[in-house]
Amino acid sequence: MKPDLKVKIAGVEFANPIMTASGCCGYGEELATMFPLSKLGALVTKSITLNPRLGHPPPRTAETTSGMLNAIGLANVGLETFITEKVPFLEKQPTKIIVNVAGSKLSEYVEVCSRLNDIDSIDMIELNISCPNVDEGGMEFGADPVMTEKSLKAVKNVFKRPIIAKLSPNVTSIVEIAKAAEQGGADAFSVINTLLGMAVDAETWQTKITNNKGGLSGPAIKPVALQMVNAVYSNSSLPIIGIGGIRSTEDVIEFLLCGATAVQIGTGLFVEPTLPVKIEKELLQYMKRKKTDSIYDLIGKVRKY
Amino acid sequence: MIKPTCEDTFLLKKRNLKNRYFAYTFRPYTQVKKCKPGHFLQLQIPQTDIFFRRPFSIAGVTPAGDIEIIFKIFGKGTALLATLEKGDKVNLLGPLGVPFTLPKKNEKTILIAGGVGFPPLMYLAVEMIAKGYDPKSIEFFYGGRTTDDIIEKSRIKKLGVNFHPVTEDGSYGMKGLVTKPVEEFIQSSDTNMRIYSCGPTGMLKAADSLGLKYKIPGQLSLEAPMPCGVGICLGCVKEKTDGGHARVCCDGPVFEIGEIVL
Repeated sequence: MKPDLKVKIAGVEFANPIMTASGCCGYGEELATMFPLSKLGALVTKSITLNPRLGHPPPRTAETTSGMLNAIGLANVGLETFITEKVPFLEKQPTKIIVNVAGSKLSEYVEVCSRLNDIDSIDMIELNISCPNVDEGGMEFGADPVMTEKSLKAVKNVFKRPIIAKLSPNVTSIVEIAKAAEQGGADAFSVINTLLGMAVDAETWQTKITNNKGGLSGPAIKPVALQMVNAVYSNSSLPIIGIGGIRSTEDVIEFLLCGATAVQIGTGLFVEPTLPVKIEKELLQYMKRKKTDSIYDLIGKVRKY
Repeated sequence: MIKPTCEDTFLLKKRNLKNRYFAYTFRPYTQVKKCKPGHFLQLQIPQTDIFFRRPFSIAGVTPAGDIEIIFKIFGKGTALLATLEKGDKVNLLGPLGVPFTLPKKNEKTILIAGGVGFPPLMYLAVEMIAKGYDPKSIEFFYGGRTTDDIIEKSRIKKLGVNFHPVTEDGSYGMKGLVTKPVEEFIQSSDTNMRIYSCGPTGMLKAADSLGLKYKIPGQLSLEAPMPCGVGICLGCVKEKTDGGHARVCCDGPVFEIGEIVL
């Protein structure tokens, strides 16, 4: 029997547990030229804000050891253009659509989520309360349990389908923030966003990106992500989407074992845009070899000392 | 648009052109060989500590469909790439980007190459000649610091184009910066012209200014550090003159003169 890759998060069924991470696939148009998006469990869009944002001036990415530092600065087309120009394309895609929402004020999050509630083709919202790259917002919501709970409550009021809280690793206790998000009505967690970092050129003494600090992603952060996924898994019953440095099928399996129900691939797509296709195929082979019928036979099954 | 594909292939031929310059030929099996002048490839450096692919403009395609790139060792990535041997496995992603638009048949073509920016312009000249353009309608200006930075001299000469090498130290061709003889040529010519340029930013800036000053249309092929090469990371953007950002990888790398703030 062919192993079953289907997973369910907050009542939404996904064909497989492989998703793209926000900010790493635009609005899907470019990736769709490289593989059928039906190969994805879900596509997670770039963060949408109420107004368009140009983002930070270049350079805004730097290669680091086994990873990447970025401060794109939430560059996006803004809510209106997203609805008129990007949603029509997304609606036609044979995959689930998760829209990532960011803002600098609570009222902005509420307005964007409220408008998205009217678009039935959007299956879920992923609330970005963890962007390290804009001064005025994002992370400050997700770094404080009170604000986290308040934000979730506010958007749950206006968006009637499931909401995923995307958590920041740049906090003292991710479990505390996860509990606050759950209290506020979150239906699932995405764990983790990027780690705050800095990159410097020893010759020129210059920081490598214009925002000076940025978010670190890629294989360098995978162990941090695995631990945080497992910590949240051990302290909450909500489903978790694991994110952080996935570049192979083994990486995906490790996240599932640590407690993730699904995963998102981010920076790995930059190196290998067709990685989700390869992982889907290899995941099936792995499950056959391990004689597991369902992804649920792997979730949280890590053997600990 | 040609759909980019990601494929494993191997190094078919390796030539060390001059101390730090190499020419590599690969044999692609899919779309990659349908490339046009101005397209580029993202090459995976087969070493784990080099995380991102590295972009290389295409220097030419053989009749058999083999693809050539020419590169200079600049940093860690290219240094590791230079250690590959014939037969080694390489992963290619391409063809990527927007290629050059060919000139009108009645236009004089001015190619302005700088250092390791010459490969896509050489490919453009080869393609034009294959399509029936008169080689003598192509003025190939090629600047470098010294004679060691003017690569494939005999290959360019063989094309039959009007070749104008320029070196900063005068060790080969004219002495000085390449854009000076270009400007003199433009001033002395009264036909319709079109500029194509690829090279260091300072040279591109000068080529852009010449185009604007003398109202000559043309295209510039830009370079930028490029995490993805397919338009999804937004890491390689440049400022547009009319506001907003353009992605070098997929809105370019070929842009019209006057389009980008250099």
